[in-house]
Amino acid sequence: MLPLAREPIAILSAGVITPVGADLDAFWAGLVTGVDGISAIERFPVHDLRVGRGGEIKKFAFARRRPLRGGRAAELLLAAADDLRGRITLDVAPERLGIVVGTALGGVEEGEHALGDRRPGRAAGALYHAPGRALAQYLGARGPVVTVSTACASGATALGFGADLLRAGRADVVVAGGYDILCRFVMRGFDALRSLTRERVRPFDRRRSGLLLGEGAALVAMAREGNPRLGRLLGHASASDGSHIAAPDPEGRGLEFAARAAMTEAGVGADDVDFVSTHGTGTPLNDPIETAVLQRVLGGRALAVPVNSVKGALGHTMGAAATLEAIMCLLAGRHGVVPPTVGLEDVDPACRLAHVQGAALACQPRVSLSTSLGFGGCNAALVLESAP
Amino acid sequence: MRVAAAGVLTGWGRDVQALPHDARVAANGRAVIPLRRPAIEGDRFRRATRECLLGVAAVEALLADGDLSREAIRGSGTALVYVTATAYTAANRAFIEQAGGSGTLHFPYTAPSAVPAEVAIEFGLTGPYVILIGATDAGQDALWQGAELLARRACERVLVLAVETVEECADLFARGRWLTRRPLVEAAVAVLLTPDGEETDPGRAAGSFLHMASRRAGETFACAPLIALALARAGAPRAGSFAGR
Repeated sequence: MLPLAREPIAILSAGVITPVGADLDAFWAGLVTGVDGISAIERFPVHDLRVGRGGEIKKFAFARRRPLRGGRAAELLLAAADDLRGRITLDVAPERLGIVVGTALGGVEEGEHALGDRRPGRAAGALYHAPGRALAQYLGARGPVVTVSTACASGATALGFGADLLRAGRADVVVAGGYDILCRFVMRGFDALRSLTRERVRPFDRRRSGLLLGEGAALVAMAREGNPRLGRLLGHASASDGSHIAAPDPEGRGLEFAARAAMTEAGVGADDVDFVSTHGTGTPLNDPIETAVLQRVLGGRALAVPVNSVKGALGHTMGAAATLEAIMCLLAGRHGVVPPTVGLEDVDPACRLAHVQGAALACQPRVSLSTSLGFGGCNAALVLESAP
Repeated sequence: MRVAAAGVLTGWGRDVQALPHDARVAANGRAVIPLRRPAIEGDRFRRATRECLLGVAAVEALLADGDLSREAIRGSGTALVYVTATAYTAANRAFIEQAGGSGTLHFPYTAPSAVPAEVAIEFGLTGPYVILIGATDAGQDALWQGAELLARRACERVLVLAVETVEECADLFARGRWLTRRPLVEAAVAVLLTPDGEETDPGRAAGSFLHMASRRAGETFACAPLIALALARAGAPRAGSFAGR
């Protein structure tokens, strides 16, 4: 059974907050110039952890009279929404405005607080869909409000779900994206898993030794019609590995399924792909698996299509990652430059692709493929087309 | 589109026939109607959480209901759409309160994706994969997404699974009891959607029976629309009307 090719969805604008820049322009400038957003974590204690660094957003204080349900996670989402609204007017009836956000952690930090704080709002804010609800309230959206949680692929799944809502006519405009914050909960978890590196993040590098986490939020405004100022979402797909609770499938079968299905839905072949934004975590396990998948999917062009990973610059921003990477794909086409993979110096022979390393690459990628993986065997792929 | 099979486990028992006429009356003042940890054997499950095992048990019940073998759903032809409002809170709490320990083996189970992951591994599901978080509306969105995946031929069948567990965090949920006047009822429900049959929107179809599902089952969050669909499939007479979202 072949999936049907589907109509593209216009991406009208975007808004972000990240460790390398507090808005879309600063984010892009930071990526292109190779800014390293990794620093010592200051917001919560890390003295008992093996690794105390990450892509932390510093000096962030969201102006709000009352605490938000969903805590800092909601605050980051709203900051990204402010950036988005500074670039585009969401001119749509409230009941026709949909919200789809992806997250790996939701408001879990509020859960840490709720156990010692009996105020009712604290416990409710710990639910994973609380920050998405806060965003809907902030934007006055009364259409569908959806939270997806395909772990670190959530930001891609959210864009895909948003596109589905638009194609089905359930909304006229969808604000979709992803978010997650650095907190003790997730730092403890990854620290215990020994997934965090004590060195720098080096995606696809021979010396890579693990990932570092980051935080951020990214949103795009999408519509069936309208001026695709940033570009278009041509296709999306997801797949389950069905192989391991935390590790990717050794053969990358789920990721390959998702990438091929997204390309089929987009109506593009390997010859049409101009750029690949990889998941590229910098872990010993992920990078060669992802490389092998891209070598199979791109075939003879695997060593010709530029690829990068932004996780050396931002850290792994989990639920925000795939949306940030999708936005980066669109901006790369618009500005005619692909940001480098920060931290990549000596390519691992097991990771041979056309890596953009050292400095940004001047080129004009029109069609991009973005790949994502997450805990629980989640895989997702997006095919995007930059606006001319 | 057709509901080819359904597996319904609730704190009241197995299948919709176990549901009382009125959950509030049947609860008799109990705040939570729990589901016991399923007795599923196997070394692979030694670390699995209760909610993971409930997901597996719901799919087993679905296969039994439809007289289907595991092979009937194995592979990339089956999409898995999972939805929950609560079935990560117990694992999160356990991880938070285990402040002194490393939690190495437990941390992956704090992710909502742990439940569908265990289900996908157990039944060999490698097709499209969507995980939604939220209560009744998210359950309806999950059914809608399942129908949408079938309509665009992204798969041959869709397994929509919802699991809700509240017992370990009952004290926290009690703080938000303004959300509901019904008892909180743990549930794990799976429905199998196939493309044959007349064209229907399962989310809307579930909506028609949602009022009855809530009255009979109690507060089952994202499971409610799936229970409603199972009630509709079982031919329950419609009580009252609900226009859906």
